Parts: sequence; C-alpha cells; structure tokens
Amino acid sequence: MDAIRAERITKKFGDFVALNNVEFRMKKGEILGLLGPNGAGKTTLVKILNGIMKPTSGRVSVLGCDPLERKMRHRIGYMPQETALYLDNTVHENIMFFGELYGLSKDKILKREKELLAFTNLEKWRNVIVANLSGGMRHRLSLACALVHEPELLFLDEPTVGVDPELRTAFWEYFYRMQKDGVSILLTTHYMEEAAKCTMLALMRSGKIIAQGTPADLMAKTSATTLEDVFLKIGKVMER
Amino acid sequence: MRASHVIAFTKRTLHQFRHDRRTLAFIIVVPLLMILIFGYTFSGEVRHVNVVVVCEDTGLNTTLFPYFPDKNFNLSRSILEQIDTEVLAVTYYSELSTAERAVEEGNAWAVIYFNQNFTNEFAGGISGKNTSANIKLILDGSNPTITAAIMKEIGEAAGRALESAKMKSQSPVSITQDYIYGSADTRFIDYFAPGVMSFAVMMVTTMLTIILFVNERRNGTLHRVLATPAHPVEVVLGYAIAFGIICICQSIVILAAGILIFGIKVVGNLFLAFLVFFLIGTGHQGLGILLSAGAKNELQAIQFIPFIIFPSVLLAGLFWPVESIPAILQPLAYFIPLRYGIDAERGIMVRGWGLEHVWMQICVLAIFAVATIAGSSMLLNKKE
Repeated sequence: MDAIRAERITKKFGDFVALNNVEFRMKKGEILGLLGPNGAGKTTLVKILNGIMKPTSGRVSVLGCDPLERKMRHRIGYMPQETALYLDNTVHENIMFFGELYGLSKDKILKREKELLAFTNLEKWRNVIVANLSGGMRHRLSLACALVHEPELLFLDEPTVGVDPELRTAFWEYFYRMQKDGVSILLTTHYMEEAAKCTMLALMRSGKIIAQGTPADLMAKTSATTLEDVFLKIGKVMER
Repeated sequence: MRASHVIAFTKRTLHQFRHDRRTLAFIIVVPLLMILIFGYTFSGEVRHVNVVVVCEDTGLNTTLFPYFPDKNFNLSRSILEQIDTEVLAVTYYSELSTAERAVEEGNAWAVIYFNQNFTNEFAGGISGKNTSANIKLILDGSNPTITAAIMKEIGEAAGRALESAKMKSQSPVSITQDYIYGSADTRFIDYFAPGVMSFAVMMVTTMLTIILFVNERRNGTLHRVLATPAHPVEVVLGYAIAFGIICICQSIVILAAGILIFGIKVVGNLFLAFLVFFLIGTGHQGLGILLSAGAKNELQAIQFIPFIIFPSVLLAGLFWPVESIPAILQPLAYFIPLRYGIDAERGIMVRGWGLEHVWMQICVLAIFAVATIAGSSMLLNKKE
C-alpha cells in the first residue's frame, strides 16, 4: 500500500519550473529522505503533498486521499522549514493551539503535551514565551507541534537543521519508534549521514527526481562507497 | 465550520496580547493621548481670542422713552461688562475702519460693533415698536472653532446682560442660540472623544492585523495552520472575534478614563456604542488581512499607514464635519467605512440616539465587516 503516490507533477511559478514531471511513490511505514541541493524543489514537493500548494498539473494521492481535502488533514503532520511557531505565545499555548486545530480534546492534548515535552526536553520551558527560546529549542517545539495529534504520515522539512548532535540522535530514535508504530515519515535533508539512516532515498535536482532506492541500492548501482559519492556521480551523469 | 477551530484562533490571539503588555498599553495610551492633545488644542474652549470692540451706542434716549425704568440704561455697556475676558481679550477702538484693519492685518479675530442706536432699538423693541437691536460681528472666519467661540461668548454675554437687567423674557437682540443636542457646556472634547475612540479602534485593528498576518506568512505559521483541518474562514473569524473583544475592552478602558480624567459626558446607550466598536474592529480586521497580502515584511506593512490614516482623519469627519470638506472630495467620504462608525458613535454618545437613528450606519458597517471577512477568507483559501 502506498502512503504517497505522485503522478507527473509539474509546478510552475510564472516561467520558472520548480517541479518538472515528477513521478514519486512512497510505501507505508518507510522513512524516506528527500535529498538535493538548494532550489531542487524539495520544499515545493512537500507543500504540494500536504495540500498547501496546488500542482500546475499532475495527480497526487496521499494516504489514498486528495491532500487538498481538509477532512484527511488530521492524518498528516507537517513540520515546515521555518520554525512556524507563534513567537508571542508560550510553549504550552502553541501546543494547545495546534492540538485544538486537529480536533483533540483538552485532556488528550495535555497528555500528549507531557509526552512530547519530555521527549523534546522542553518540560522546564512550558510557560516560557517562544520568542525567548533558543533556535534549537524552537526547532524541538516545532517538531512537538507536528506530532501532537499522532499523525499516520509525517512531513518534516529539514527537521534537524540547527539541532545539536546529541538531540539529533534522540530525534532519530524517536523517528524509528514511530516507524515501528506504523508511521510513515518523509523528510528533507542536506546531511548525508542523515540520509544513510533513511530506509529509502529520493534524489532531486532541478525539479526532477533523478534516482530513488534504498541507500544500499543506490551505492551498489553507482559503485560508490559513500552517499556523497552517489550524489556527485548521479549529478554528473545528469549533466552529460 | 467548527466553532472549536474558531475559538482556538481567538484564544491564541488573546493570549498573545496578554503576553505583550507593551502593545496593550499602546492601544490604550495612544487614544487617550489623542483625546488629551487634540481635544484641548482643537477644543471649542479657545482662550484669549483677540477681538476689537467699536461701540457707538449712545445709550437710552430718555426723550424717546420717558417711561423706561432705568434712565441710565446702556445695553451695549452691560453686554461688554459681561464678556468673559478669559475667552475674549477685548481692545476698544473708536473708528470702525481702523478696527476692520486690525482684523485685516491679523491682529484680531473679529470686530464687535454696536451702532449708535443699539440701546434705543432694543428699548423700542420691548416697548412695542418694530425695531430690534443688532450686534454686528465682522469676522476673520478662517478658523471655525474660533468663530464659534466668539459667537458663543457674545451670545452668552448678551443673555447675561439681559438677565441682570431683568429683561430676558422679551429680549429682541438678534443673537440667539438654540441647542437641540448638547447644551451650552458641551465641549469639543465631548464631541471629539467618540470620534477618537472609533479612529483608535480602526487604527489598532488595521495595523495590528497587517503586522500579525505579515508575520504569519513570514514565520510559516500560516502555511502550517492551512495544513491542518482548519478552514480559512475559521482562521479569519477567530481573529475577527479576538479583535472584536480587544476593541470592546479598549473602548471600555478609554471611555472610563475619558469620563474620569476629562469628564466626558456620555448620554446614549453604551451597549449600542460597543456594538458599533465591535463592527468597526471586525471590518477593519478583515481589511488588514486583505492589505497584508500586499506587504512582504513589516517595513512594507508600515507603508500602508499613511494610506489608511489620512483618508480617515481628513475625510471621515474626525475633526470637522463631512459637510465642511470640499465638495469634490465629499463623494470619497462615502467610501470610508470609519465615517459611518464616527457618525454612529457621535449620534449614540453625544446625542443619545438609538437604533432608529443609526441603523443605516450599523448596516453599512456590518456589510463592510461581512465583505472583508469573506474577502480575506477567499484570499487565504486561494492556493499557490
């Protein structure tokens, strides 16, 4: 069963083609890493998959539904690249707010809040205004807000940028735990060592997906020893 | 549409302002400062207005009126004695032409002229002859507030003079003043305060919404919110209710302070007054969201201020009535929603009008609110 199926997606902003005929599939229960240089179209693809943007042409199916349908949104979690928090509200108020938008009861939100603040190490900061938190703390809170409603499918746009190595490891442990519970995760990243942790990779360049497969597959195919090599080799093939 | 989503937005926005004490102080203090500064500098209680008096009145001619009780009666002198010198600084001239020159040269605002038969004409009037005494004012009318102050002071002085001569009942002096609304002690500040409060509600909601939404877009919270099950209408309504509540609280505090500090008189139905403030707030909140689409950052948002402030200050009747703006610009005033708000609030708070007088203004404001809320919901619903 596919969590995501994208068929021939093209997205244009005026004359600029951000996505060019993208074909893309992701199975349920995978952690899929979307890799690519800046401007490759990763964020645009994520925005189309979670229904914030409309493709210029092509068809998208997410968990068997059209992501533009609001009714299916509670099954999806989204952590944008920007911190995307209300800076003048407290940590608690941000979590309450997003919990309420996903239709959770107050008790349920408070229960989830406890778990999430423990995992993100933010318990002490619950009643602090977000503007007073450090960048890393905001990032952790942003992740907590994306997880409050226990989504089946998670979109994480560069979830570990600015997160210290210790916490990054903790994030990944949590991702694997969610994966075990059947959650599918799509994340974008620049870090190759992070890409190695994904169960599946999709490489993007200039609005196209140029390769997809498990990290091991891709290395074998290109007879490269590191993912970095894979990326460079495939890139060179493209240029020719 | 789900009420819980709407309430979530309202609650979050109110929490935000609860944390932001400085903005809270701003929305209360600025209007009060405006009432204080504008209310007193523009107020009808102008002081020490230079006027010139030319009095040729020769007093009562006893051969014409042998039965007049007071043989030494001189009405112009008693009027002049009654003038409040705090309000009018009087200089006496003997020649009308030199007095007129003083006004021409900007040294005085008015000539107050009593002709030589002033008292006799008055005496004739009350003795059954068909004459009436006339005080002639030659005015520099460039400042209507001062003109009004002069008119008022002369009228009152004449009234007091007649009263002290016990001739009030038949007074044929041709300065009369009637009050339909307000009273002799209605001050400009009483008239001005409802206008400033409406203006403050409009400014605060428009500006704060533009800035909030510019931030919503820039911080990515708007994208995040639109990726949840919440519908854009719920976003806009949630904000509108939050701002409506903020506007009502703001108005309550300003009104209370205005009454306590400046002794503003309010005669009308406060519930109706707050309903109008709520509508001004929600309508301009929607307008703010629409405008925010045209600004990429806070700096660009601030550039909207002159476009919002000037038309409202100049054309909505805040300082002077819409009737007194140039005829070419008057049609524009119909398109400024604040105008209807100010009209309604003045009617309610100064004149004590009820729904039967202000329903039209309330309808216009309600239509404006519905239109901007619908428009901004559509704007947010539009996907790239």
